[in-house]
Amino acid sequence: MVGPSPSDQEPERVLFSLLRLNATSPSSCYQVGSRSNEPMSRSLRWGIGLLLIAGLLLGAFFLLPFRSWLPGGTVANIANREVVNGTLFNRLFPKPQAGEQLVFTQEKRGFSQARLKQGAEVRALLSISDVTSAPASRNKFIHTEERLQSWPLVDQGSQASALLVADRFQVKVIGQGNGLDAEQRHVLLEAFDLSALAALNPSPLQAPAIPAGREVLPPGKQAPLRQPLPGRQRQAPQAQSAQSLVPRPAANRKPSLFNRATAVLEPAA
Amino acid sequence: MSATVLERLERLPRRNLTVLALRGISSLVPGGWQNQTSAEELISDVLGSDDPELVQQVRARADQLSRARHEGYRRALSLYDAVNRSQKAAGGLRVLANVAGALPLVKRLAVLTPASQTLQAVDLSLKVAAEMLAFTQVNGLPGDSFAAFGDSLREYSGEARVRMAALVCFDALLPLGDNALQRLDDLLGQVGSRELHQLPSYAGMASLLPGRGDAAHLSFMRRGVDQWLGWADGFVGDLGLSGQRAVRALESTLGPWHGGMEQLATFLDAFTDTYSHTGVQAVARRLVERAAAEI
Repeated sequence: MVGPSPSDQEPERVLFSLLRLNATSPSSCYQVGSRSNEPMSRSLRWGIGLLLIAGLLLGAFFLLPFRSWLPGGTVANIANREVVNGTLFNRLFPKPQAGEQLVFTQEKRGFSQARLKQGAEVRALLSISDVTSAPASRNKFIHTEERLQSWPLVDQGSQASALLVADRFQVKVIGQGNGLDAEQRHVLLEAFDLSALAALNPSPLQAPAIPAGREVLPPGKQAPLRQPLPGRQRQAPQAQSAQSLVPRPAANRKPSLFNRATAVLEPAA
Repeated sequence: MSATVLERLERLPRRNLTVLALRGISSLVPGGWQNQTSAEELISDVLGSDDPELVQQVRARADQLSRARHEGYRRALSLYDAVNRSQKAAGGLRVLANVAGALPLVKRLAVLTPASQTLQAVDLSLKVAAEMLAFTQVNGLPGDSFAAFGDSLREYSGEARVRMAALVCFDALLPLGDNALQRLDDLLGQVGSRELHQLPSYAGMASLLPGRGDAAHLSFMRRGVDQWLGWADGFVGDLGLSGQRAVRALESTLGPWHGGMEQLATFLDAFTDTYSHTGVQAVARRLVERAAAEI
């Protein structure tokens, strides 16, 4: 054993040798501890180590930008990637007539809004929103009988009309200033590019693009390949393809009241 | 948990110095100004109906939106608050200096306080920069092209007319004189990082400005002010705004003023918060417009 005796070591040196406990020569460290009358007990060592780790973790949590990972960052805590970006809605707004002007005012994730102006007067607020982040807004469409281009239509109060396209996008016209009557609002709703809007929805009833074949599972879980036995009759190929067209619930969406009500809300086309 | 945007709106004063100053300035702007402090009234104004159930739904949605951090409504308010706090601090210092200038022992305090015209110019450009940042926080970048974005900005400044008139009068015409907008670029050219750091609002906003370092921030502010000047020149010309008219309009509500224009500007800086008052109202309106469309 080389080096000064532990009694005349400075406290920093002791700590330093403790930190090198695992790295270099554990035996010498233990010797240092055993030769003197225990300068630092085992529990104290553990305590300091745990404190250091806790400090680092807490520091990382508060100083590094982890805050954006905490819940409460997005509306209703729904991840941004599950909501259609508002930029895609902009080109679907109605083209302004002569003497009118369309001014976009807000564009956020899942939302886009524009004002329809005539001269300096605002006639209506036009907007498209993705109801993924506002599921309660779908409720009002369940019991409606009115249809516009086969999509359910609801009037809210005396100045607002809403249309639910593809069970996912809410198109709304709110009359401003002198107001619009229901007929004018419905004409405006029809002027939106509704078919292109419906196409933005990855439809839950679409057949899978890849024919349903043997599912690929992690090694070990893979089902054995079934070779047709010589004596057995082969299944008809039609039956196989018909089975693959059975609607499956969208994988990224929780089964909810609305998935069950899909049959009611789908256009009668 | 801090207050939501609509709670902030309801806490705004109904009658105080700020409201009186804004009411005075609004007499210069066609269309006038209404001190909107009731969330229910704002919602039924946007929605065109006062069905209590609908109003309740819009309110719940608006609160949910303003609680989501990434949506930026509350961040815009904190920007306005930062600017407002530092404006009050700087104004208070200048008021103190004015008082202290008359007392023989503490006269030297007056020399220390930053009240030069360059600083006033930086203060104005910081406010303009905060305005643009808050706009993108609240509205995103609306439209498909830069022209659409420009339209959207113009639309916003049309809506926030009284707010802009207050900004032009209180922070440009009164302290810097009637040719303030023409001189602004020159004044900003003389600003170095030393002047920048004398402003308390800069410390609060530096982290929110794009770019790294004082030089980048200064160039961002100058570019922002350039954009804003193009619009503000037309605005001042259209309404015929001038320092004299602003003083007369303010006198109609605040009572006679016997000091100089600069002192009036200092007084307004120290004792009113027009910037955050109208800011809360503007953000609340945009928020309610979105909530009404989403319910």
